[in-house]
Amino acid sequence: MKKETSQVANELIKRLDTHLNDENIGDPFFPERGVRPFPLTTDGFKVIQLLDSDRKTAFVDGGNQEVFGAPNFSVQLNRVYFGMWSGNRRIPERSIPKRTEFFAATYSDFERGEIQYSTELFPLSSEGVSLPRERDLSFSSMDRSITVGNQRADIYRVGSISRRFSELVLAKSVVENELAPGDLLLLDGTLQTAFPNEYAYLDELSKAAQEKGVILAGLSKTSALFTDTGHSLLGALDKLAADKGITSEWYYPIADGTSKDHFVFILGVRLNAISERIFRLEVQRDQFLLLDERELNEVLTQLVRNSTDYTFPGYPYGLIDADRFARVTSADREHYFTILHSQMAAMGNWEKFYRHAKAVDAHGLLNKLG
Amino acid sequence: MYQFAHMADVHLGANRHGKMAELEIGAFVRAMDICITRKVDFIVISGDLFHVGVPSDLDTVRQAVAKMREVTENGIPIYAIYGSHDYTPTSTSIIDVIESAGLLTKIVRGTIVEDKLKLECVVDARTGAKLVGISARRMGLEREHYDMLDREDLERLDGFTIFAFHCGIDELKPEYLSRMDSIPISLFPKGFDYYAGGHVHQHSEHHLPGYDWVVFPGPLFAGYGRDFEFTAKGERRGFYIVSFDQTVTDVEFVETGLVESIFKEYDLTGLNSSHAQDTLAESFGILDVNGKIVVLKIRGVLSGGKTSDIDFVHLQNLLYDRGAVDVHLSRRSLTSADYGAIKVAGEDVTIIEERLFKENIGTVKTNISQLQGDSGVKLSLELLRVLKEDRNPAENKKEYEARMIEDALGVLQLEGVFEK
Amino acid sequence: MEAFDVVGQVIAGKVAHILIREKTDAKIELGNLLVAEGRDGSSLILQVHNLSFGSQLDQDLLELTAGLELEGRGGSLEFFDADLRNYVLAEARAVASISGDRVTIPKALPDFFASVRHVINEDLQFMDIPGNTAYLGKVRSGSNVLDVPVRLNVQDLFTHHVLIPATTGRGKSNLVKVLLWSVVNDDNLGVLVLDPHDEYYGARGNELGLSKHPDAKEKVIYYSLAAPAGTNTLVINLKSILPWHIEELFNLTDAQTEALYTYFFPHKKDKQWIEAIFKGERPEGVGEMTASVLQRKFKTALGLDVTEQGDLICHNRAFSTTAGEATLDDMIVALEGGKIVVVDTSRLSDKAELLIGSLVINEVLTKYQRYKQETGSSGVSKLEDKPVVSIVIEEAPRVLGADVLSSRGDTTYSTVAREGRKFKIGLVAITQLTSVIPNTVLANLNTKIIFGNEMASERNAIISSAAQDLKDDYVTIGSLDKGEAIVSSIFTKFAVPIQVPRFEDYVAEYGAVNEPEDKHDIHKKHTRLVF
Repeated sequence: MKKETSQVANELIKRLDTHLNDENIGDPFFPERGVRPFPLTTDGFKVIQLLDSDRKTAFVDGGNQEVFGAPNFSVQLNRVYFGMWSGNRRIPERSIPKRTEFFAATYSDFERGEIQYSTELFPLSSEGVSLPRERDLSFSSMDRSITVGNQRADIYRVGSISRRFSELVLAKSVVENELAPGDLLLLDGTLQTAFPNEYAYLDELSKAAQEKGVILAGLSKTSALFTDTGHSLLGALDKLAADKGITSEWYYPIADGTSKDHFVFILGVRLNAISERIFRLEVQRDQFLLLDERELNEVLTQLVRNSTDYTFPGYPYGLIDADRFARVTSADREHYFTILHSQMAAMGNWEKFYRHAKAVDAHGLLNKLG
Repeated sequence: MYQFAHMADVHLGANRHGKMAELEIGAFVRAMDICITRKVDFIVISGDLFHVGVPSDLDTVRQAVAKMREVTENGIPIYAIYGSHDYTPTSTSIIDVIESAGLLTKIVRGTIVEDKLKLECVVDARTGAKLVGISARRMGLEREHYDMLDREDLERLDGFTIFAFHCGIDELKPEYLSRMDSIPISLFPKGFDYYAGGHVHQHSEHHLPGYDWVVFPGPLFAGYGRDFEFTAKGERRGFYIVSFDQTVTDVEFVETGLVESIFKEYDLTGLNSSHAQDTLAESFGILDVNGKIVVLKIRGVLSGGKTSDIDFVHLQNLLYDRGAVDVHLSRRSLTSADYGAIKVAGEDVTIIEERLFKENIGTVKTNISQLQGDSGVKLSLELLRVLKEDRNPAENKKEYEARMIEDALGVLQLEGVFEK
Repeated sequence: MEAFDVVGQVIAGKVAHILIREKTDAKIELGNLLVAEGRDGSSLILQVHNLSFGSQLDQDLLELTAGLELEGRGGSLEFFDADLRNYVLAEARAVASISGDRVTIPKALPDFFASVRHVINEDLQFMDIPGNTAYLGKVRSGSNVLDVPVRLNVQDLFTHHVLIPATTGRGKSNLVKVLLWSVVNDDNLGVLVLDPHDEYYGARGNELGLSKHPDAKEKVIYYSLAAPAGTNTLVINLKSILPWHIEELFNLTDAQTEALYTYFFPHKKDKQWIEAIFKGERPEGVGEMTASVLQRKFKTALGLDVTEQGDLICHNRAFSTTAGEATLDDMIVALEGGKIVVVDTSRLSDKAELLIGSLVINEVLTKYQRYKQETGSSGVSKLEDKPVVSIVIEEAPRVLGADVLSSRGDTTYSTVAREGRKFKIGLVAITQLTSVIPNTVLANLNTKIIFGNEMASERNAIISSAAQDLKDDYVTIGSLDKGEAIVSSIFTKFAVPIQVPRFEDYVAEYGAVNEPEDKHDIHKKHTRLVF
């Protein structure tokens, strides 16, 4: 017998509801070793005291897209960008160019019994480029950090790696050339390493920051963190904040990470009172512990002051700005593809490249069939 | 009720010889006599009493002065302004002499007060009429005076007022005198009872808003120069007698009518010089010219011979012999084909046309001599020229057709033969 | 772009719709002339014909934000990079391409991302033309007036006819005064001005008009029914009027037209055919009814009537049976002498005014046609030595309107509009309603000085007959203020926006009025005067 859709929906909602346990929110859950969580209580919230200072914040972000690829090669356009702000005021850069662009051409080889991916970099800007080292961009296609399940990693995934490394290189350059002691460098995302050879770059950045006295941090828009009762961690904080009745900006210490590749202090932050969003802020651990309350509030105040744009209250405008200018759009991709294509045609090897590329084209074709 | 006489443009001395000179002074004398007979209260002469400032013929002057003396002794004052001919500003003229003798009173009395020309009026003792005027100057230079004239002052005059002037008026000049120097009526003071004009050799009376009775008497006699033709065509010559008390009550034109004139026009086109001479002689032989001034206009294109071949002196003498008082013959519009084409442009075309006609005139079968030979060719060419003329855009079709027919008939000398 | 302030940058668009992002606070205006310099050294003059807001933000967000601010609920929120994300876009059309000395109609787009600046006087030097010129005003960029005079060659302007479309109060009379003042001294131009509001001469007292021009005495003639001292009384003898002048004045039936000519032919010599109509002459073929209709028409238009004694009188003092025989000839001599003849028609009926214009122009047309055919002493047509003659007429639809032309056929005025150029005779037609004039006539009026007009139908009519493509100026024409105009002419490289100066200001700047002479000079002159 056919059921009414509304009836089906009703059953579904009832069942889901039983699993959404609002009563017992639990405490933060981190599966990896070396992360000590703090309990979630209404008393854990700290109101951010707004203390203005002349600290600056540099925001760094990157973007990339495959311009042309096949199972055995991938050409990607990478962009990394930084912007500097003091509260809500944009600060012009002093010496290094704001944006760096480069092609990363990755190709496959058979080596040591396995498919190896290697990359060569081709900068598009000429001065002061923040490029990672090419040797760091060679991996086995079966490296666990890039595979999906036990499937071989697709070659285009290497592109994201070169972008990430490049962000870290740029961030280091910004720390060294543009920031002063007490300033903040904020990356988009966490300070956790994910890729092979990434730790070296993060470490270099972290050392540079500490030497300069610049505070290194990362802000994540999304979070897959949970509590030990299956709750979304940030969702739990939101409920707690509502229960507490906090009406201003706040931060909540979530966990203390001491492992090598995640050496951070993790906070939940609400950077604007009317914002509905809570973000995860990670600060380099040693630096965080050195901050006294006043200094911490000064740093957080910078972020609060930068998070008052109408388009996304509660999220730092510096990251919106960095994202926009680092993004590689489809139009960019089309543009660069055209250039490559015409060069290949001129050089007479388009046919050869296209033969390889056809193997992954099926998906695109299917999409066009509608 | 009072009366005054208004005359102008007598031009004594214009005709210097013989009967014409006699008739000329005779007309003046006659006019003065009429004034005496009619017992006018005063006379206004609006300029050009004499033809030149210092006439060579003093006998004319003597006669004029004698008559003026008679008039004044009859208690009739003569008021005058000067015209463009009878005086010069820089030297003494005969009229100045007459004025200083008290035979006439100049009514032009002006002073410059604060950039304006103030005119003082002369009051006629008997009638109380106020007279004021502006004399003429050569080439219309009197305009300067009018520009400076204090009109408001004059417009305040009360009683019966007369403004005498000697110039053309833009709004009133006849069409054939459109190129004459003239001034706009707006330069005259408004509200005068009578504007006694001179200089225009045609009598007329006009009324314009603000200006009642603007009158030109024209010359007393046939005149001189071009006047003869108009006189001969019927233009009346004389002066005005104006009746008034508070205002003008009557304006009467009085002809001096001493002599008749006749006018005749001849078109000699197509005739050769000898034939033309005969034609004229024949005509002159039957014209009634006894005691008349004869005005002749000869025009056309002789088919052969020169215009000088025609003995106009002899022809004129024919008229004198038959009693003509004076003969005025104009032959400016008479030419001869022998003198050849004048126009440079289009010459080729007419030569070609002429040749064609010459070659083909023999094919025309006719008894009429004018249509044969050279005469025929000339006629054909003339007819062609006339019929070639385009329609004026200002003409409609009917008008154009009518003009073409008329001109063509004219060439063929068939005017009036066909009913319209 | 050295020392000049950049006001925007070309960012997108297509031909005739080039999009320029305005620099914050640059305040680009409708009608502004901007310059984009090319990398090759050439420059492009652009004219702004539309303005709009541009934003990187969604419309919904903007509305919400405005709401928050208006209701005071925005708190600490603001727009970061406000001037980067919200801006003005100007839509412009390239009107001239300048490369060295050459000025051409642009056929390419400006360089992408080219900076633009406001136009300056030096950019428009190409507009300075030599020779005899008529002055129209100064170049206007938006509401800013540059010190660049807009002058057009007199011969070109007047022989190719002018149309001045404008609703009342926009400054067209002021323009005509400025224009005429600037050509008073041109001996190669005679202008007949039919002045229905008696506003051009300045006849009385302190009125400022052409009478105050230093050369007015020699070069400007004034006719009026109330002529002040020194000017001419307007009076025209009935003998000057011929049947075809009447034909184009009235809608006549065939019978009536024929009757006119039937009266006329017997009086061709004495020209007293109009008197004949009134004095009861009844030629064969003219019915009682027709005769009385003709009488009535003359009565209405010219104020003619018959006294008890049977004499013809003219109530309308502009016509006379006795005076004014030479008036027409005087006017024509003046026009052929390169003078301006102003006829005050403020006290005349419409028909009387048009009749007078028609009398004069008909005569001039006839003469000029003859001159064209005749060769002068120098071997060229006599017409070459004659001045251009133009007639200024207001309420042009009275003689150029489609309905008039269809019911009465071509008038003198429409003939001039269509063919006058061949004979150096031109028309300056002033009108509030362009839409009623047929395109065949409009196409011959090659210079249009367009003032503000709100009416959509009129704007469309003007735009569709202009020398340049003005469809993008539809909005601009509606926003023209008093004294602002657009000159669209076959003699301008593009449709030039101008500011016509107030007549008083123009006179003060360009020509001293007739000052009274020095007293000493007057005294000297007076000593020559003798009585």
